[in-house]
Amino acid sequence: MDPSEVEFLAEKETVKVIPNFSLDKIYLIGGDLGPFNPGLPVDVPVWLALNLKQRQKCRIVPPEWMDADKLEEIREQERKEDAFSPVPSCHYMELTKLLLNHAADDIPRADEIRTLVKDIWDTRIAKLRLSADRFVGQQEAHARLDNLTLMEINTTRDFLLDSLNSMHKLRANLQPGKSQDY
Amino acid sequence: RTMADALSDAGDLSGGEGSQDDVMTPAELIARLEEAWLNEKFSPELLESKSELVECVMEQLTHMEENLQRVRKGDLKASVHHMEIGRIRYVLSSYLRSRLQKIEKFFPHVLEKEKSRADGDPSFLSPEEFAFAKEYLANTEVYLKAVALRHMPPNLQSIDMLKAIPEPCLDSFVFLRVKERQEKILVEPETDEQREYVVDLEEGSQHLMRYRTIAPLVANGAVQLI
Repeated sequence: MDPSEVEFLAEKETVKVIPNFSLDKIYLIGGDLGPFNPGLPVDVPVWLALNLKQRQKCRIVPPEWMDADKLEEIREQERKEDAFSPVPSCHYMELTKLLLNHAADDIPRADEIRTLVKDIWDTRIAKLRLSADRFVGQQEAHARLDNLTLMEINTTRDFLLDSLNSMHKLRANLQPGKSQDY
Repeated sequence: RTMADALSDAGDLSGGEGSQDDVMTPAELIARLEEAWLNEKFSPELLESKSELVECVMEQLTHMEENLQRVRKGDLKASVHHMEIGRIRYVLSSYLRSRLQKIEKFFPHVLEKEKSRADGDPSFLSPEEFAFAKEYLANTEVYLKAVALRHMPPNLQSIDMLKAIPEPCLDSFVFLRVKERQEKILVEPETDEQREYVVDLEEGSQHLMRYRTIAPLVANGAVQLI
């Protein structure tokens, strides 16, 4: 899957915006939005929030977890544990990138947040590489992957699945009678 | 009629999936389409056709686009609707395109499966996909004959497509998220030294395992490929 498609899925998450215009309810196919009143916070999907922001029609309220102090705690937790800690949002990486790239002026301590999220991501990807290596090395047939986000899975998907499938084919050919045409 | 009336009608359409006439809201319809999209993207084989779902989504899109034609350009509301339509269209075409790619890759097997399907069983191909697969097979055969086979010795001039084209590899590993709890899913050993064992799949948990074991769970919607 292309990373842009994972980002596309992340854009469905809702975020609060403070509009500077009035508009009645919008009846979208995927559900109703609004009404919009100047100064009153309203929940909208991220794709719309970013568009309104680009047209200077709203201010974005960053999600609760997008806070330097909270992220610092999460980073420490992630560094302390060997296992994957729960993440604040199943699209934390994409949302950070999207919101910081398009609405950095609405997010306090944006630069710190960028660094913290990058640190959390790097720590988790290092763990993921280790466990993928172990999984392949020990020839496991099943792994539980709670707390991993789609973007994280997606970064190892092609490489890991291709290796596993190649190993499987090689092994299948070792066992006469069980071999198949691929 | 105001635009708001016209647009709010979109909320009353219902779509029946499968034989039971369960009424779905348009939002549920879109959610189903996205699930089908991801499942199709990640499963090694072609999944059951969701023609009804596709038709319902198309209907929603056409209906919305018709309503939008009556709205002047530059209207903020209309632009939001256009953005949503663009997103849904993307998912829909990506879904259909990944099915076509699999049909092109596995056409003899796809057609064989469709042929051996019992009456009343759900079809793996929509009527359009079926026509596409048949034509693809015929064209491939004609092409191979024209460029190679007719130059071969007479005893080598036929080709069995079912043997010539690889089958989907059901032993591929996939990532999945559990939507409905499952007990005692058998995990086959990877090597001779290992023993098979069973795992319970808790609701909401995520796993990496071989597609073959959980293929029926993808088909009945108990797990979602990710």
